[in-house]
Amino acid sequence: MAKVAIEAGKVGALRVHATRRRPLRGALLEVVALGGGVILWEVLGWVLAMPWLPPFSKIVAALIQFIQSGVILVNVASSLEGLAIGFGISLIVGLFVGALMGRYRRVEKALDIYVNALLISPAMIFAPIFFAIFGLSGAVRIAVIIMYSVFVIIMNTATAIRTVDPALVEMASSFGANERQIFLRILLPASLPLIFAGIRLGMGRAVKGMINGEMLIAMVGLGALAQRYGSQFEASKVFAIALVVLIIGVVMNWLVEILDHRFTSWAD
Amino acid sequence: MIQIRGLSKEFLGRDGEGTGVLAIDSLNFEVRDNEFLTIIGPSGCGKTTLLRIIAGLIPFDDGEVRIDDKPVTGPGSDRAVVFQNFALMPWANVLTNIAFGLEIRGTPKAEYEDTARRLVRLVGLEGFERRLPKELSGGMQQRVGLARALAVNPRILLMDEPFGALDEQTRRLLQEQLLRIWEKERKTVIFITHSMEEAVFLGDRVMLMTPRPGRVKEIIDVPLKRPRGQETEKSTTFTEIKEYLWENLRSMQVLDQREA
Amino acid sequence: MLRILVFVLFALSWQVSAVLMKNMLIPTFTETIGGFIQLVFVSGRIWQPLYVSNQALVLGYILSVLIAIPLGLAAGRVRWIDKILNPYIGIFLTIPVAPLIPIAITALGLGLASRVAIVFLFTFVFIVVNTRAGVRNVDPGLIEMAKSFGANEGQIWRRIVIPGAVPAIFAGLRIGLGRAVGGMVIVELLLVASGLGRLLLEFAGRLQAEFVFATVLVVIIEALLLLSAMRFAEQKVAPWAHDNSIG
Repeated sequence: MAKVAIEAGKVGALRVHATRRRPLRGALLEVVALGGGVILWEVLGWVLAMPWLPPFSKIVAALIQFIQSGVILVNVASSLEGLAIGFGISLIVGLFVGALMGRYRRVEKALDIYVNALLISPAMIFAPIFFAIFGLSGAVRIAVIIMYSVFVIIMNTATAIRTVDPALVEMASSFGANERQIFLRILLPASLPLIFAGIRLGMGRAVKGMINGEMLIAMVGLGALAQRYGSQFEASKVFAIALVVLIIGVVMNWLVEILDHRFTSWAD
Repeated sequence: MIQIRGLSKEFLGRDGEGTGVLAIDSLNFEVRDNEFLTIIGPSGCGKTTLLRIIAGLIPFDDGEVRIDDKPVTGPGSDRAVVFQNFALMPWANVLTNIAFGLEIRGTPKAEYEDTARRLVRLVGLEGFERRLPKELSGGMQQRVGLARALAVNPRILLMDEPFGALDEQTRRLLQEQLLRIWEKERKTVIFITHSMEEAVFLGDRVMLMTPRPGRVKEIIDVPLKRPRGQETEKSTTFTEIKEYLWENLRSMQVLDQREA
Repeated sequence: MLRILVFVLFALSWQVSAVLMKNMLIPTFTETIGGFIQLVFVSGRIWQPLYVSNQALVLGYILSVLIAIPLGLAAGRVRWIDKILNPYIGIFLTIPVAPLIPIAITALGLGLASRVAIVFLFTFVFIVVNTRAGVRNVDPGLIEMAKSFGANEGQIWRRIVIPGAVPAIFAGLRIGLGRAVGGMVIVELLLVASGLGRLLLEFAGRLQAEFVFATVLVVIIEALLLLSAMRFAEQKVAPWAHDNSIG
């Protein structure tokens, strides 16, 4: 038996490091970093005096001027209208096809390779095709939005439904539920979290498709504005528009998140 | 050989301030050389925390931890850990995993490969040297974890509920295998478990801990003859000690619930 | 099997509707295939523009990888770097790059430089995000295990964190490649400086619809080939991984 050393006190104790978590400090750092970036931009804008890098204040000024003159409102409305139509169609088609693929193995096997291929293809490459079909019109923009967003919704919906715990389906069957009941009471609610993930991703892509499509046809919405100012080399205005689209993207994402939490808080 | 005196450990709240959780409070006990000590206690009693402190992985607030009179200040070559969730590198094969501890200590390649192969045989995994962890069953993965710990030839083996993630049959087989290996190369083992059968079957002594904050309730001698096997479980002593443990554990947790 | 059936159905409906529509701008399925064979094998007209356009893709992608991976590693491992970069990562993930194309032109002209810059802007943030996630999601149990065997910081980094992060890094490289291709396409369509964009415009102007569609097909095939190759490499390098990628 080893000798026992009886020593009271704190000999040999290791002190706890000062790695205390301070989430507040973390958030502060982010804000400071952002602010620092803005300041840097402002300074560089003045110092370098390059036409393509206007000081941040000028961008803000352009934005304010947009809002005041009403230019922003008209074009945002136009852009959002296109977004609504395009994304709406994507949602309907995406959820429907995705649900079919998730529920029926044969549908999945038939379509998955194509959905996958279209998902990873660059969506804009289809624009020339849309031009051929629709001519130079707003429909091209809608088609581009759909191309950007529908496939990610299909994939996520299909995965969501396919990966519902089969034990739950079996349980429902054992209590005598029919196809429709299983779908509505089990499959649908259980797959909502992943479906919402797909909707969120789809929304992000739809906004990108919206601006890209609009810039290509240069007829309506913010994209058209961006093209115009771009060709006139008005950098502040172009940045201001990019900022507006950024805000739209953030707001849309936030809206989807609210809906998400409303319907799927049980999944956390 | 291992002395714990007045050990206390508190986990601070998330914001680093305010009331923390006292995991261990004024713990005192000793572990003798080459003894197999099992530690059992209700969930959350701090057993894993205790093990990690002895391993030198986390600091403690009060008291002292000494091995052969030298204080513990960090991980060391005299100790090796076997983890509950195996902690195998998923991208490396069995041999590489086993050799890991030796490799990072700068052992020459020929030597650590040799040792790894010897240990593969010792734990009965011949033929699986080049397999990845995902190709192995849970029991096999833990044998790799055990081999890895043995590879560095530690004097003290620290085992954190190593068989907790396995099914009962695999668990029993591994218990017997562990004892067989231990009989051959006697080391000091501190073995944490949830299972009363396991605690009595494996240990020379069983240390019973209280619910949080963890203290030593009692240390019980297990005077069962070695080597132990299937016969051991049929003995009355085994059953008595096991029931004694259960009574204590049960009453501690009923008490706990009433206080909660 | 079923998949072939779907394809045949698709080709048939295309063919029929194109024939019925008699639109000069919409070629039939067979015409498109014919155009494809022409451009790729017979006249080989596609290759030069393809090469020119892909310069931006390759250079922009490589630039992205060189900058994004170190950034992602740093953000994953060092808390304060992560906090500083985080708002910018968020911005670059959501901001539309297309409106910034005129800015790039003003700054860098109409040549390769601006095209490379645009592809870079499309790509790099996705590689950063996935690399960072890979580092952050390394199993802490493995790090503890390494520490228990006495590994120092450098060894933990080399033996545990980097190998652990490799699957996610490769996923990021794959997603980044997809983004880069998309960026190249947008550059071609909006900038129309050289390469495929100009080619498309030429074909459209001459009402050679079958060549327009064939060019689109070429780009789609290129994208699919590149990304499949990337997937394959991903499997080879990290056979043990599951896919938790971002993007």
